[in-house]
Amino acid sequence: MAEHYSSFEPKGTRWLLQRLTAAFLVVVLAYHFMLLHFINHAADITFAGTQVRMSQLGYFLTMVLFLIAGTFHGVNGVYNALVNQGLDGTQKTVVKWLLIVAGTLLIVQGIRVAVAMTGLF
Amino acid sequence: MSQSYDRGLIEDFGRWQEFSAGMWAWIFHKFTGWVLIGYLFTHIAVLSTATVDGATYTQTLQGLESLLLVRFLEVGLLAVAAFHILNGIRLLFVDLGVGLEAQDKAFYAALITTAAITVASIPTFLMGAF
Amino acid sequence: MSTQIQEQETETETETEQTSEHQTRRLAEKRERADMRERAEADLSDADEIVRLKIFRYDPEVEGKKDPRFDTFEVPFGKGMTVLDALIYARDHFDSSLTFRHSCRQAICGSDALFVNGRQQLGCKTQLSDLEWPVRIEPLPHAEVVKDLVVDMEHFYDQMEAVEPYFQTNELPKGELEEQRQTRENREKVKMSTRCIWCSACMSSCNIAAGDNKYLGPAAINKAYRFAMDEREGEDMKEHRLNIIEQEHGVWRCQTQFSCTVVCPKDIPLTEHIQELKREAVKSNLKFW
Repeated sequence: MAEHYSSFEPKGTRWLLQRLTAAFLVVVLAYHFMLLHFINHAADITFAGTQVRMSQLGYFLTMVLFLIAGTFHGVNGVYNALVNQGLDGTQKTVVKWLLIVAGTLLIVQGIRVAVAMTGLF
Repeated sequence: MSQSYDRGLIEDFGRWQEFSAGMWAWIFHKFTGWVLIGYLFTHIAVLSTATVDGATYTQTLQGLESLLLVRFLEVGLLAVAAFHILNGIRLLFVDLGVGLEAQDKAFYAALITTAAITVASIPTFLMGAF
Repeated sequence: MSTQIQEQETETETETEQTSEHQTRRLAEKRERADMRERAEADLSDADEIVRLKIFRYDPEVEGKKDPRFDTFEVPFGKGMTVLDALIYARDHFDSSLTFRHSCRQAICGSDALFVNGRQQLGCKTQLSDLEWPVRIEPLPHAEVVKDLVVDMEHFYDQMEAVEPYFQTNELPKGELEEQRQTRENREKVKMSTRCIWCSACMSSCNIAAGDNKYLGPAAINKAYRFAMDEREGEDMKEHRLNIIEQEHGVWRCQTQFSCTVVCPKDIPLTEHIQELKREAVKSNLKFW
């Protein structure tokens, strides 16, 4: 039997990760909205203000983690939704890799943006 | 039994009036989820102006914020995010097996709270837009 | 009713006799039907209340009935009358071709799950007095209709079989004649899950099962729960059962819409059971790390 065996069970793991990221996102998304719409009004945002926030290591790391968790949660959610609708076979494999690529690009670009916002590089 | 009749999907959305609370919660959660992931991609795209230089970034953001349409879209985004968060908390409890018998009430509570948050935030969001 | 009696005639008869026999039988049946109709008219004029049923009709084998349609029947209402009683009355008095499954009439055989007023319910367990009138009766959604209210259950049974819905164990008691006893607590744990009557109401109500044909569905997962949680099956067997339900089209497809739990005529907390299996599967996978 050439079956691939791994103790890392992908289906159940994705389910668990979806929940773990959800718990994290609930808190951070609420915080993000509060900070950038109620404490600082979106209309008053300038690069200088962004730079001050992003230069703090804790805030920077939180935002990067927020990006990664959000991307995983969203892209995985989209994939699940499509599988629930009966997506199968080659189409499923294609969609899976498209989503993985899109998600990775989003994270990479997001980190580039975050780094640029610190104004340090 | 030579043939059988497949009624297709007419029984799905054609019967929305018969959907239960849990079903509505799922539909709304899915819809708000699609909006949020779509927004995340757009959000990063707009913020990417920061990689050009600070001035472009400030200009782009303030330019967008001066549009009344954007302000309204932001209220919509808040409503979508609030519902997704509140119903998400409900779903986390469901996953933990806590309070399953109150899941329908939790959904109504999420709806009402979302509405309250949205209405209460309209002044903040539209401030200085007119 | 008594329309079957004539069929008990002996079959050793000449052809001519058979024809005449056949004719007499037909005439008798015709008379019988006329009688039933007359009786129905009398019933209807005597009845205090008349319930109107709108019944889905479809028959692929009869020209002119191939297009699905709704037929309306008026049935005299009596206290305590169920949807199934009304269907039986309509079939016996008005249209003997009206087709639906039923057997025990007491919510245990699981044959008469129907889509009544937009909800999956057992015909025999649903009081007409609890429904809005006219009552709309359709075959279960998300299944192919064979005729009138009868749907093809093959797919549902396949999913049930897939979870090995029978007791299996590697842990037999020591003595040959010793009983395989279950603790009271464990019995309580699986109690609700044992009540499934395979009526398929839950499967029909499930939006995910409708879209993903490979999804095991609530009934099958509940069946897996019933045995996975039975301590007498032992650890090996539990792992085997978890392996089945944690496939991609197993428990993970459940979106906790609670549709199945809402419609289950035996009040089985299906969503709760599916959720518990998800947690069990995650826990057993984490153990290997």
